[in-house]
Amino acid sequence: MSAALIELREALLSSPLSAIGLTLAGYLMALWLVERLGRPSWCPAVLLAALLVAASLWGLSIDVADYQRGADWLMLLLGPATVALGVPLYQQLHHIRALWKPLALSLPPAAALACCYSVALAWALGASPEVMASLAPKSVTAPIALGIIEALHGSVPLLMGGLLITGVMATLAVSLLAAPLGIRDHRILGFTLGVNGHAIGTVRAFEISPTAGAFASLGMSLTGILTALCLPLAWQLLGL
Amino acid sequence: MIALLRGFLWLTGFWLAGESLVVLLDLPISAGVVGMLLLTIALLLRIGRLEDIAAASQPLIGLLAMLIMPGVVGVFFVADEFAGQWLAVAVALVGGTLASVLTTLLLMRRCMPAAPRTETPQETSS
Repeated sequence: MSAALIELREALLSSPLSAIGLTLAGYLMALWLVERLGRPSWCPAVLLAALLVAASLWGLSIDVADYQRGADWLMLLLGPATVALGVPLYQQLHHIRALWKPLALSLPPAAALACCYSVALAWALGASPEVMASLAPKSVTAPIALGIIEALHGSVPLLMGGLLITGVMATLAVSLLAAPLGIRDHRILGFTLGVNGHAIGTVRAFEISPTAGAFASLGMSLTGILTALCLPLAWQLLGL
Repeated sequence: MIALLRGFLWLTGFWLAGESLVVLLDLPISAGVVGMLLLTIALLLRIGRLEDIAAASQPLIGLLAMLIMPGVVGVFFVADEFAGQWLAVAVALVGGTLASVLTTLLLMRRCMPAAPRTETPQETSS
């Protein structure tokens, strides 16, 4: 490579706009591909987009830390975007008022177990504390989980991978288990998808029906809030 | 467009308020979650124009998947860091999620009152 080209590459990479451009291009291309594949539930667009970006970083031999530094400018918007989740929560409050008793009875154990099962399994198989911390908030919607992981000192990339697999698995599990258990109530299906499968489950729930979708987003927000309030405290108490 | 800017200012303001509470009270929670709760409370108290805040919230929520995507990219570069633990990770994720979905379904089947069929039409609004 000639000196001028090397200089150009340095100049382009020093601007966060190259990372932002790569992110946008990867995401839009993934959306297009997923559309062409007929929106398979096992392959969310985010996963495909991340693969495309990772492949281009590897192909252009760009350091992932450099990319992340540029993309941080984009991820800055996650702060106001997390706050924005208060709007759908406010709009769903009438469901909480109507059904506060079954929700209050089933949400805390469901959200706690979603976290405990995985941490217990990981612990039994000899995972390190950092891995357990990264898996604990796996059922929480990503913007909230990113806030939790800071308090637990887990690994952000591992958490993100875990979130994706959890979302896809929860969607599969609900479609596999609901029929044998004789559950056809869209409120239950939606709530289960939201509590266990966060945003990926909620997208699936909206495909079932608007009722399922409303309960999924309710389950997702409540799980996120409950876990964000309790998990860091529980983690400190356990001395992990 | 101005409504969107006004809404974005509200969202940023609530995030800053959340961050202030987190720092002042030394809370182990993220500023975003505190801001979200503050926003919900404010909307219940009719503080702030819902139309403005919704105008900024809807596009941002629609973009959430793209905003977290750079974080996902890192997972393809940490294979060595967690070598020897991938079996534990996979079992914990797959087994843990199956178990928790089963528990939630059983819990909800127990706790949820039977769906009144008349309720269905008004549900479509949300």
